[in-house]
Amino acid sequence: MAFLPLLRGVLLGGIGFAVGSALAAGIRAVSGMEDTWSTEPVFALGYLFGLIGWLLGVGVWGTWAREWVGKAPRGHHEAAAGGWERYFRFCTDHKVIGVQYIVSFVVIFLLAGLAAVLLRIELMDPGQTILDANNFNTTMGLHGIMMVAVAVAIMMGGFANILVPLMIGADDVAFPRINALSYWVVPPVAVLLLATPLMGGFDSGWTAYPPLSVVNASGQLLFLIAFLTFGISSILGGINFVATIVLMRAPGMTWTRMPIFVWSIFAAALISLTATQFVAFGLLTVILDRVAGMSFYNPAEGGTAILYEHIFWFYSHPAVYIMILPAFGAALEVITHFSRKPLFAYKWVVGSFIAIVGLSSIVWAHHLFTSGMSDYLHLPFMVMTEIISIPTGIVFLAGLGTIWLGRLWLTTPMLFGLGFLANFVVGGITGIFLADVPTDIHLQDTYFIVAHFHYTIMGGEIFALMAAVYFWFPKITGRMYNETLGKVHFYTMFVAYTATFVPMFWLGVHGMNRRVADYLPELADMNLLASVASFALAASFGVFVVNLALSWARGPVASSNPWKARTLEWQTSSPPPLENFVQEPRVTGAPYDYGVPGSVHAVVGAAGGSGEEEQR
Amino acid sequence: MGPVPAIAVNGRPVRHIVTGAIWEGRRELKQHLLYAAILWALFTLVGEVIVFSYNPLPLVAAEEGEIVDHAFKVLTVMAVPVFAFVVATVAYSVFRFRRRGEPGEDGPPIRGSGPVIATWLVVTTALTVLVIIFPGTTGLLELRAKAKNEDLVVRAEGSRWFWKVTYPEHNITIFGPANELMLPKDRRVRFEVTSTDVVHAFWVPAFRIKIDAVPGRVTTTYANPTLAGGQDLDSGFTLVCAELCGTAHALMKMPVRVVEPDEFDAWVAEKTANP
Repeated sequence: MAFLPLLRGVLLGGIGFAVGSALAAGIRAVSGMEDTWSTEPVFALGYLFGLIGWLLGVGVWGTWAREWVGKAPRGHHEAAAGGWERYFRFCTDHKVIGVQYIVSFVVIFLLAGLAAVLLRIELMDPGQTILDANNFNTTMGLHGIMMVAVAVAIMMGGFANILVPLMIGADDVAFPRINALSYWVVPPVAVLLLATPLMGGFDSGWTAYPPLSVVNASGQLLFLIAFLTFGISSILGGINFVATIVLMRAPGMTWTRMPIFVWSIFAAALISLTATQFVAFGLLTVILDRVAGMSFYNPAEGGTAILYEHIFWFYSHPAVYIMILPAFGAALEVITHFSRKPLFAYKWVVGSFIAIVGLSSIVWAHHLFTSGMSDYLHLPFMVMTEIISIPTGIVFLAGLGTIWLGRLWLTTPMLFGLGFLANFVVGGITGIFLADVPTDIHLQDTYFIVAHFHYTIMGGEIFALMAAVYFWFPKITGRMYNETLGKVHFYTMFVAYTATFVPMFWLGVHGMNRRVADYLPELADMNLLASVASFALAASFGVFVVNLALSWARGPVASSNPWKARTLEWQTSSPPPLENFVQEPRVTGAPYDYGVPGSVHAVVGAAGGSGEEEQR
Repeated sequence: MGPVPAIAVNGRPVRHIVTGAIWEGRRELKQHLLYAAILWALFTLVGEVIVFSYNPLPLVAAEEGEIVDHAFKVLTVMAVPVFAFVVATVAYSVFRFRRRGEPGEDGPPIRGSGPVIATWLVVTTALTVLVIIFPGTTGLLELRAKAKNEDLVVRAEGSRWFWKVTYPEHNITIFGPANELMLPKDRRVRFEVTSTDVVHAFWVPAFRIKIDAVPGRVTTTYANPTLAGGQDLDSGFTLVCAELCGTAHALMKMPVRVVEPDEFDAWVAEKTANP
């Protein structure tokens, strides 16, 4: 019975929920409170116990917790074995977990995209059409948080999970069970978010600024605990990738021989591991304000609203680098392989990633230039923020330097990689307008910001993500995607994307504030253009889904290395066996030495004899 | 799998062909650089012509707004060559270096050398320092220089979902959106902004000023209106809530009217007489 673990998880989750909510009600009764079964406290404690029940039922008990009580748990081999049913249980194979992540988050991505289409239908013309104000706000908040979750998790949880062990020549990640755990806390997050409309929705956007997020409908509580749970997943993922990359590299895989994607994941994992606690704390304090009557953010009782904004952005600005660093890595990876040249200025790119990790944590208050924080903070945060453009510029040096004089192979992933460069430069340049205090005062909280961060995260990360999807599709599935449909997807997406978001810059400058269900009549034309283009953008993902679904089912079988690429993941079968390589690979040279006669990155399998070790 | 010649990986030939000369021929490389530079110059020219002939900014009606707009235009002018550089390099490379189908050969093993990287770093650092100083710091200081010695104090209090405006020196209180926020032209106004419930933001697009309305504290911003007018002249004459505040956030607005100082005094007198 393939779905037994899921059923067990749901059952134990339900029991846990009942126990937790009864406990909360009991505490309230003993404390002499009137509404013993008050919804929010009862739900919050019920959820905590329910989450534990769900995790134990879905596989934590069998593969892990049994050993806490002196029984033998299922081993890694046993936990990772099986056919398609592996994808529906607590499987510890990093490739299975990666696919679970990618498929789940592509589904969330499509749902969040549908939410965006609803928003754009509402915004096609002024006045109210299909969504009333509360439904608009909830839809907008869901679009935001779901897309943020996709942007944070799909690269690290999905692609890095599959690729990092392959690229560094390891047989799995350092902590396979923590890895599986980080995935299995995600389904409750999705369920909670999708359930928010049932409890009145939430009208505070994904940023959830208090006091609004303390006083609004109970859907907000579901949002807060979903986000908090997702944070746990991020932290676990961060621990795992830092440990894997530090400890599990194959012999000869020195730090300067690591593929750039691995470096980008290392940098992003450092941020994920160290910054996520702050947003977890911020969310927890809002939850406590709601369910336990604490007053972190209630000015009448000595709380302060701006405190949350600082805590929130202390994580959420670094978080954009959790999103974009892996995109840098993936895009440079694809661009390098399809230019058939070494990655330009490799060590400088590595240095820039590390610089970004450091700088990312000292720029957060540029989100607060108009918040009323002390004036004297404006200058230092403007300076720090603009300095980030120097390491980011090195990514462009690398990308442009690599395609220059290359032998460009314009496959679908390469087109997306080049699209990433063209889009991200717009995101970067418009970022200067927002780091610059005088211009930010006007542009903050307008559609200019909306356009800017879509240019960085969608034009940047999602284009790089698409490059990654097509590039590694044959490795992950063992089948080839359809190249023609891939190119149709790229061109429609690129054109529709541009036509959707360029008008938003204009709208922001002309006085359209963000997160509004209604606007002035003179902004109607540009809004209509953005809406119509966004429908075409949505349609381009129809091509994407059809292509990949059909190709996965019956596409031509892919060889182990269809791109003739040099990195290690291409030196094993497609898809790779359970422990990735027949024999532990030995790394002998740089990953991208295209055009260097006789150079070899790694020796894999029995064919590689001794004596080929490079002398360094 | 043949033996690995270490010299090819770390040896001189590879490290020295940073310009691609050995692989492409020096003349051919110079040609590529020339054509790409022409393309870059062309894109930059087109971009700057657009920037100088089309004003992307709406009506501005305050001295503060002119500082903001100036910074916006300076940044746009600076942004064009940067954007053009990336687009020109990608476009030239795609058209000139592409291969039909799978390339049968590898490109030149250029890893990037000191002079190219150093030049890039110097240029990007110089650009960054430039935008930090001008228009960033200069604009900030200009704005700050205007944020004192007010002629009039106006208190704006956000509540879900309307603005209450008070003129404490004149004991006048008005509510939006049926009333207009009246301001005298060419007088420096200090806005003291607060909120009674959740975080709102005080934004007048025509003035280009914005400050959050935070419950439990008072934030300030200044405007020096330079143009008489109201919503009939431009929709930028509106006090807009810019921070998401719940259900009717999009409707939380109040019209703004700027009038000549004597007209303003007359309005004050009339309001004081008939509150």
